[in-house]
Formats: sequence, structure tokens, C-alpha cells
Amino acid sequence: MLDIQVFPLLLGLSAAMFTIGSVGVLVRRNPLVVLMSIELMLNAVNLAFVDYGRFLNSEDGQIFALVVIVVAAAEAVVGLALVSQVYRAGRELDIDDLSEMRE
Amino acid sequence: MTTATLLAYVVAGVALVSAAGVVLSARTIYAALCLVGNMVSLAVLFLLLNAQFVAAVQVIIYAGAVMVLFVFIIALLDPGHDPDYEGPRRDPRLWVGIVAVGYITAQVFALAVNGTTYSKTDHVLQGQRLAQAANPSDLHSFSFTPDAVNAAGNVQVLGRELFTTFLLPFEITSLLLIVAAIGAVYLTRRMPHAPGPPSERASVAALPEESAPDAGRETVAVG
Repeated sequence: MLDIQVFPLLLGLSAAMFTIGSVGVLVRRNPLVVLMSIELMLNAVNLAFVDYGRFLNSEDGQIFALVVIVVAAAEAVVGLALVSQVYRAGRELDIDDLSEMRE
Repeated sequence: MTTATLLAYVVAGVALVSAAGVVLSARTIYAALCLVGNMVSLAVLFLLLNAQFVAAVQVIIYAGAVMVLFVFIIALLDPGHDPDYEGPRRDPRLWVGIVAVGYITAQVFALAVNGTTYSKTDHVLQGQRLAQAANPSDLHSFSFTPDAVNAAGNVQVLGRELFTTFLLPFEITSLLLIVAAIGAVYLTRRMPHAPGPPSERASVAALPEESAPDAGRETVAVG
């Protein structure tokens, strides 16, 4: 039994997690940490979806959370493949050096 | 304050701290471990929010499969070449980013505060009636007893919605998975004439000075 004050609190947690993730994307230079920050932002969106779904007594939020989880998994796979390929091509793993995706 | 509310506060604190740890960790592997902690605490929050199936998927796919992939890549790549060891970058883009993030945060907080105070829709009223029918003495919280939840079943309700109302998004999601799998296989194929990772090149360059037996044979064979 959750008190009703928990729902705005969890929305605030979601906003804070999204902000922390976007700061990580902007500040960190390691592409792996940048990918993890993107995962953090998607997790924050998931929390907001499920929280609103519970608040409005609807299952739609959980459906969207499942879709977001699938999208995050696909994004992680493609991003990590790109990172490993960049590493194999002999480039340093600094995201500032990778602003142009060519040799 | 009920036990579930107290647990929600504690787990929300853990999630916030571990989310900060993802960005602030100096080493990549610590960031990955913080992200695992964040995902597990989010799964606990999903359980508290009556989203049992999403909690299970969160643990299995996110904290399991995706994070294993991350840790695998971290272990595969060279951990000594972390550009963040040289300190965070200092250029004007950082300040532009901080201002933009502050603006977005203010907007999202305003939405989060105002979004929960709008007039209640029929859904909410219906949910409150259901909750009060399930527990007549509790007037202030959405309280679903286990019997009320198990009457329909979280997985059954989600499955029915997923295969009737949201069938088209479900199919498009499967298409996205196929595209991601093919893209990952295409991207990670071995390219011809690749010079190799920097650690290998560095060790090859350093080999003649080190008197490793394999290195000596190789240089003789090359020379």
C-alpha cells in the first residue's frame, strides 16, 4: 500500500535520473559511459511511465515501458558494436575525436 | 507511513545515489556496477508500483543481458586508456550543456509537480472505487490487496493489451530487434586492412626492446 505522496516523489526521482543521465552524456568522454548514461535516461523514462500508469490505474504505461526496454537493448547492442569497431580500427576511445564518423 | 512507502523512499534514495555513481565514477567498470544497482532498485520500485512483469523484465533483460554485454565490452577493450583520467573537459560546450540541462530539469520538475494535480479523470475515479471496494477502511491510498491484483493478473492483462490494442507497436518492435541484430553483426565483422587496436600496435612497437623469446623469433622472421 503506497501512500499517494509517493507518486510525485517517484516522478521527481525520474526527472533527477534523466538529468543525471543527460549530464553524463554531455560531460563524460568515454563512449561506454556515454552509452550507460543513455541507458540511465531511458530507465528514468520507464520509471515515469510505470509511475503514471499506476497513478492513473492503467496498464498502458507498462506496455510502453516494455517497448522502451526493447529499444534500449537494441540501442545498447548497436552502440557497443560501434565502440568495439572503432577500437578495432585503432582509434582512441575519446568521444571528442569521433565527431566525424569517417577515417 | 506504511512499510511499502518507507521501502519506496529508501529504494528511491539508492537509485538516486547509484545514478550519480554512473556519471561520477572514475573507472568504467564501477560505472557499470552502479548502473546495475540503479536498475535493480528500479525493479524494486516497479514491484511496489504493481508492475510485476516489467520488474521481472527489468532484472532479466536490463540488469542481466544488457549489463553483461556492457561488462563484456569493458573487459574486452583496454581499460588503461580511459580519456576521463585526464580530467573532465573544459570548454564552452560544457557550460552550454549545463545551462541546457538546468532548463530541461526545471521544465521536467514543473511538469512532474503540476502533472499530478490536474483534475482526476474517470480512470482515477474508477481505480479509487476499485481500491475502496477492495479495502473499505483505507480512503487515502491506492491499495490493491494481493487478491485484487491476482484476480486479473499482471501478465495476463499486459499480454492481452499487447496482442490486441498494441499489436502494431509490438510487431514494429520485433522489426527493430531484427534490424539491431543484423546491424550489430554487420558492424562487428572483421574489416580487411585494419591496423589493429592501439594496445597491440604499442606492444608490437615495444617488442624489439623486450627480450621475449616469441618477439625475437618474430623480428628475425620479419627481418
